[in-house]
Amino acid sequence: MALATGFLLMMLRFGTCVSGSLMSDPYIPRRIQLPERSAASEVTRPSMNEIVIEHLSKSYGKVRALSDVSLSVGPGEVVGLLGPNGAGKSTLMKIVVGILRPTSGRVSVAGMDLVEEPDSAKRSVGYLPENPSIYTGLTVREFLSFVGKIRDVPDQVLKQRISDSLSTFSLEDKTDALVGTLSKGMKQKVALIAAGIHDPKVLVLDEPLTALDPRTQVFVNGWIAERGRKGTTVLLSTHNLEIAQDHATQMAIIDNGSIIAQGGLDSLRKMAEAREDARLEEVFLKLTGDDA
Amino acid sequence: MNSWSNITTLVRYWMKGRFTKVTAIWMVMGEVFSVALVLFVGSTFLSFSSRFGLGNGLSYLGLTLLFGLFLVGLVQSGFNGSGLPMSAADVDYVLTSPVNPREVFAAKLLMNSFTTVLLSFPPILTLYLRFAQTYGTGLAPAFFAGFVTLAFFVLCLLFSADITLSLNSRAGERVGPLRNAVLAFVAAVSLAPVALLIPGAPPELAQIAAILPSGLAAGISYTLVSGAAIGLGTLLELALLTLWFFVLLGVGTRLSQRNFYEVLQISDRDSEGGVKDARLGRGLQTDGRPVWSVVRSKERVLMSRTKENRSLFVNALFLAGFMVVYSLSGVFLSSPTSFLFLLFIIGSFGSGNATRWLEKERLWLIKTSAVDLRRYVREVYRARVTPLLLVLSPVAAGVGAPLLIEKVNGPAFLLSIGLSLPGALEVAALMMAGGMFFAARYGQSSVDETLTTQGQDMADVRRFLYQTLINLGLVAPLMMLVLSAGYVLAFVGVSGLLLTTLGLGVAAFVYSAVALHLVLGSAGASLQKREDL
Repeated sequence: MALATGFLLMMLRFGTCVSGSLMSDPYIPRRIQLPERSAASEVTRPSMNEIVIEHLSKSYGKVRALSDVSLSVGPGEVVGLLGPNGAGKSTLMKIVVGILRPTSGRVSVAGMDLVEEPDSAKRSVGYLPENPSIYTGLTVREFLSFVGKIRDVPDQVLKQRISDSLSTFSLEDKTDALVGTLSKGMKQKVALIAAGIHDPKVLVLDEPLTALDPRTQVFVNGWIAERGRKGTTVLLSTHNLEIAQDHATQMAIIDNGSIIAQGGLDSLRKMAEAREDARLEEVFLKLTGDDA
Repeated sequence: MNSWSNITTLVRYWMKGRFTKVTAIWMVMGEVFSVALVLFVGSTFLSFSSRFGLGNGLSYLGLTLLFGLFLVGLVQSGFNGSGLPMSAADVDYVLTSPVNPREVFAAKLLMNSFTTVLLSFPPILTLYLRFAQTYGTGLAPAFFAGFVTLAFFVLCLLFSADITLSLNSRAGERVGPLRNAVLAFVAAVSLAPVALLIPGAPPELAQIAAILPSGLAAGISYTLVSGAAIGLGTLLELALLTLWFFVLLGVGTRLSQRNFYEVLQISDRDSEGGVKDARLGRGLQTDGRPVWSVVRSKERVLMSRTKENRSLFVNALFLAGFMVVYSLSGVFLSSPTSFLFLLFIIGSFGSGNATRWLEKERLWLIKTSAVDLRRYVREVYRARVTPLLLVLSPVAAGVGAPLLIEKVNGPAFLLSIGLSLPGALEVAALMMAGGMFFAARYGQSSVDETLTTQGQDMADVRRFLYQTLINLGLVAPLMMLVLSAGYVLAFVGVSGLLLTTLGLGVAAFVYSAVALHLVLGSAGASLQKREDL
């Protein structure tokens, strides 16, 4: 009978740093044209910061991943979230998109509290995880259609957005290819399209340039910048300080679960007591205590 | 470094990765649970065989059947490509090192054997000691029988690894039909011991079963535990079993030299979803369809484009073969109690599959949307359970038909069988929901995760403990309904047969529907709380 039990058991068994704006870069095959935000996704609430994080803390058992974090991001701002490995960037982003629940504190997106109105808040956010795992058994079009569907995008709008996005990302010839057959860079592009398929007010991008070749990096950079110009708020985690310096309207440096500095490059230089022409890299190292 | 040094190094570091303090605690809990279960089932079997005159406990035929089931299980595992589990870390670090594939193969085999021996020895020994007590043969024969049984388990692992390696050979792909014929032959032969249950089975079948590893191991173990005289026959059985081991080891070693890298590549591809080619078939249509319809359709499309369907088919073939043989055996079908064992087997088949339905690594997509996770789980279940129940229906009917035709000897039995047949599908449906709940609540769903060192052992022990308890808890009320049918009928009388059947049938259906709704809702709620996605 032990063997019958055993039988049952068996049955149960990512660069190159590239600076400069997209529009002046000769690598870009075409100008990125993003639609203005559709009327359906306009805020019906009074104008306010799109992301408000107040005294946020997050613990995993006895380990404190985030400690009393506060951050406000206004509409159309691109915020670079910088910090050493394990500083808490991904944890913060996962809370903002609703994957993790805060231990204490409050997070609101587009004026909606993530704990009290999670569904409404999630409708306003698009997310690209650090290592996006997507349905490799679906074609590119099927995958994007599925994502659009679960994010309440009307059929006709969805069809047009998929078509426009694939054209923007130069993936037209991959429309009917299985996601599993695409290169890593192409999968990253598909995941980026998916993050923005419902034209969210807020985009949370965790290391979007990981594993991308220089040409695609420049392209994605331009896409993010264009999104910001079109009014989308972007929270961007990156280890690429030049990109943060060139595209972020403000930066937040996180270390050991706390935001240790926040603001534009000039204010960060003052905080770090660095030279007026100091690069972000130098400022970052001073602020995080690694100014060797 | 020499070969042995490489093998030892690999095993030592895999081992270090596996056995943390937490894993050890779980394994001890699993062992205690197994021993208790074996004691309970062993004693119940002894009592059962005594009451129904099936002999005085352990029998050669019974042991051949059980060992045959183990062999079939691992042959099936080999066909599903799980005979030689490889993780992404194996590909990244072992494959790129100057280690001969033959040495990796040997190290894998040693590692898997070690785990199997560690997990199996206490319950096996407990079982043999219980029977040795009945026969009055003492400790030493029980220990020796235990060692022979463990050697047989290792041989089965080797057999399973050989099948997986052969499935991915270049030669195999060129001569597909021939390879398939050979594999079908292997599958059929492995079922021979089970077919012995059929009354009037040709004596040649017994001869084939006797020289299979399962028959040889059963013969030796039975001889030792029962206290029968050890003669030339037993020594011959031991020699043949040893020969089997070395032949399979030789085949595996040779295949590993030629096919090992392909298996590694296939393992790597499978961790990306197992998508094989561009034959897409029916696509995912989303225009004008409600979101839940799209979710169900997505599941069906994914099933059709991955190796899941093939795996389902292979599993169903084995299960059907086993069930039909079991039903034709007649001996154990003298009561509905026995039929409930069949229901549990059917349910276990689906339950294991259901643990992989939620695709943990892709849940971030769902969790960051406004989709209700409870409803999402229910819809995934709905899409995936339907084809499984369609596969299981003929199996249940195949088992039930001989029962209905030949074994009906009274209204109470007719009522029990009448409830058992739809009950088989309800039990399967409930246990699949239990499998989803287990995966949602306790983790473990991705292929790569189960192949990582610690993950595999933890998953095995947890699955064994939790899933058995979850599934038993879910199906117990349904089984009670079937078992109580006779008593209810005795109370209402034969004239109320139709009404009783309808009443109990409706009660069983309502219970199943409510239980499914609650369990799947709990699974969704558990996903909502999970922080490892």
